[in-house]
Amino acid sequence: MIDEILATLMNVFRSNSMQIPLIQPIVDYLMQIPLINILVALILWRPFFAVVIMPGLAVLLLYLLYIVWFERKLTARIQWRVGPLEVARPIRGAIQALADGLRYFFQEAIVHRDAHRPYFVQLPILAFIPILLPIAFIPAGNAVGIKTPYAIQLIVAFLALIPITIIAIGWASNNRFAFVGSVREALMYVAYEIPFIIAVISMIYLYGSGDPYVAVEKQSLVPGAILNPIAFLVFLITMLMATSRLPFEIPEADQEIAFGPFVEYSGMLFGLVMVLAYEKLYIMTLLFVILFLGGWNGFYFEPLGDLNAPLCLFIKTVVVISIIAIVRSMYARYRIDQTLRYSFSWLIAFSMVALGIGVVLGWIL
Amino acid sequence: MEEFTKFVRGGILGPIKKWGTKWSLWPVHLVTACCGAELAHAFACGYDGERIGALNYGIARQTNLIIVEGAITRKMARVLRITWEQMPDPKFVIVMGACGLNGGIFWNGYNLVKPSEVVPVEFFIPGCPPTPEALLRGIRQLQIKLDKGVAENSLTFSEIALEKGKKPKVLPVSPKVVSNAPSIVVAVKKAVDWEFGKQLCDRLKAIGRAVITAKNRIALKVEVENLRSAAMKLKDLGFDHVKSVNVIDVPNEGKFIVEFLISSYSVKELMPVLVNLYTEISRKEPKISSLSDIFPSADYLEREMQDFFGVNFVGNPWKGKFILAPDTPEFPLRKDFKLEAESYVGD
Ligand code: SF4
Repeated sequence: MIDEILATLMNVFRSNSMQIPLIQPIVDYLMQIPLINILVALILWRPFFAVVIMPGLAVLLLYLLYIVWFERKLTARIQWRVGPLEVARPIRGAIQALADGLRYFFQEAIVHRDAHRPYFVQLPILAFIPILLPIAFIPAGNAVGIKTPYAIQLIVAFLALIPITIIAIGWASNNRFAFVGSVREALMYVAYEIPFIIAVISMIYLYGSGDPYVAVEKQSLVPGAILNPIAFLVFLITMLMATSRLPFEIPEADQEIAFGPFVEYSGMLFGLVMVLAYEKLYIMTLLFVILFLGGWNGFYFEPLGDLNAPLCLFIKTVVVISIIAIVRSMYARYRIDQTLRYSFSWLIAFSMVALGIGVVLGWIL
Repeated sequence: MEEFTKFVRGGILGPIKKWGTKWSLWPVHLVTACCGAELAHAFACGYDGERIGALNYGIARQTNLIIVEGAITRKMARVLRITWEQMPDPKFVIVMGACGLNGGIFWNGYNLVKPSEVVPVEFFIPGCPPTPEALLRGIRQLQIKLDKGVAENSLTFSEIALEKGKKPKVLPVSPKVVSNAPSIVVAVKKAVDWEFGKQLCDRLKAIGRAVITAKNRIALKVEVENLRSAAMKLKDLGFDHVKSVNVIDVPNEGKFIVEFLISSYSVKELMPVLVNLYTEISRKEPKISSLSDIFPSADYLEREMQDFFGVNFVGNPWKGKFILAPDTPEFPLRKDFKLEAESYVGD
């Protein structure tokens, strides 16, 4: 009975598995060992590989370690400092984020008396659902979790859920700073979501479909950033707003309202909520790369086989995020009213222009 | 739960936890005094405390280290304690500066608290202010302590044999003495070339004894009973606010001198003029009528004097401590005020 189930599973996994010539000998060797082989087959199963390995969870964790360190290091260099170093001298302190993460993990997690206990504890974990769901729809070449022609729309819809969990976090904290932070988050949400969605729609018009495969294919000659530069700009700015990066770090302004919605979190729970914005940034940048920078188009090395596409997508994403990290140490923070005025006038106007370009180009192409 | 805590502290995960905590000591922003400038320096580009994994961070909930920067007053002691209690375990305190050790330049002050009496302190860094190197060394010492489990003395002094036959040096005595104040004269006459002042003085003669003490400065003495009517008359002349209220304690004559420095914002020629309306009251029963209803700006200043000297401003609605922490000893600025003597208990 169990043998049969295993055999069927094995068949399912093998019929749709990643072909990577480089590690094929190792895979072949492992395949001969019972039980290990089913694990290996599972890992190489395309949907599983896309969601859990690349560009999914495993590299997301790697990216988190990298980006926190890189951002601190970059800020330090811009301020003529050295940045994290002594924790691991030979690799320039690259595991600093790991040390901080471990410290948070083992610290006491305080749930204060005034908090709404169940929500206060649940929400940081619940907030992962809207982060994880889009990953299932983001394809990278052959590796894709769930294949649908409406993937882009779905990703945008799931992204729109994240601020709701943040507002709920602020509400459950029952703290005046958290309240101010949640209200700011709500205002920002309305301000960036409209131009953001219009920019995405303009690109969907341009490519004539919400299917990432079509979008990437149409960019094989000219990337979307050149086809519709205004949508590119609007997307970039709204991305900064959506992930509360520095010129728009309004909901979390630590000098004014002490991390806004997250003020009461400590220990592991704070570790969870602190990486929310980084994870959101990762997913938005994946979408950004697919829409504007040619997705997984790029290099092709024979030995890497199917791994080429996810690797290319991941490298592009990390490069884009590393460039975005610079704004953090360059700009001061806008006031909330300035941001709202700016976003409801110029940003919406620009996104409308982008929509026009998208419709016209989509009709021509 | 106990077992779980024990497991997390010392079980197989212990070394990992230790390592994480050691390289991630984030001091919270709690700048109480001038040592803060040195802390800023230690984390700026010259020394860069971030090298050793310390990052100045927003609030207590998310950090694990408090660096007490020098002097802690009675009011800040409360804040320090609250900050410490907000912080999740494991948490550490480093005290920098002579003030935090034993008062420093504020030694023997009525308003100073030792941080070690408020929170458990891990390391002291002496100096006024300590150099950034010393501060970073304090953090490194804490790291070493976390690593090895015991604090090391990082400072060893070389021993020098005493010279024989010399008289030991006598240290200067502590300044805990009440000086016999000579009588204090508020109104010292001075001849200045100030035409308008002379005219003004003539007009003020009707109120009390007016004396020009410098250019644009007039001292006006009145009796206690006439204080309010004098203030009314000054108001009629165009003076509209009290800049400052002072009390001078003259214990050997058994009196307080209470000064109201009055000036004007509304009449142009009176703007530079400062009239010192002063009166004397008995030290035994320090009672004086408040001017806060005539000049509202006198209100807070009177409350402050109530705090410091125990002068009762009749008519000022405020009772109790205003600026000082509630547990400050009574009337610290009176000349015969004595602090509780410090006592050291040896082993
Ligand atoms: S020790 Fe010196 S520098 Fe530090 S707070 Fe005291 S007076 Fe200021």
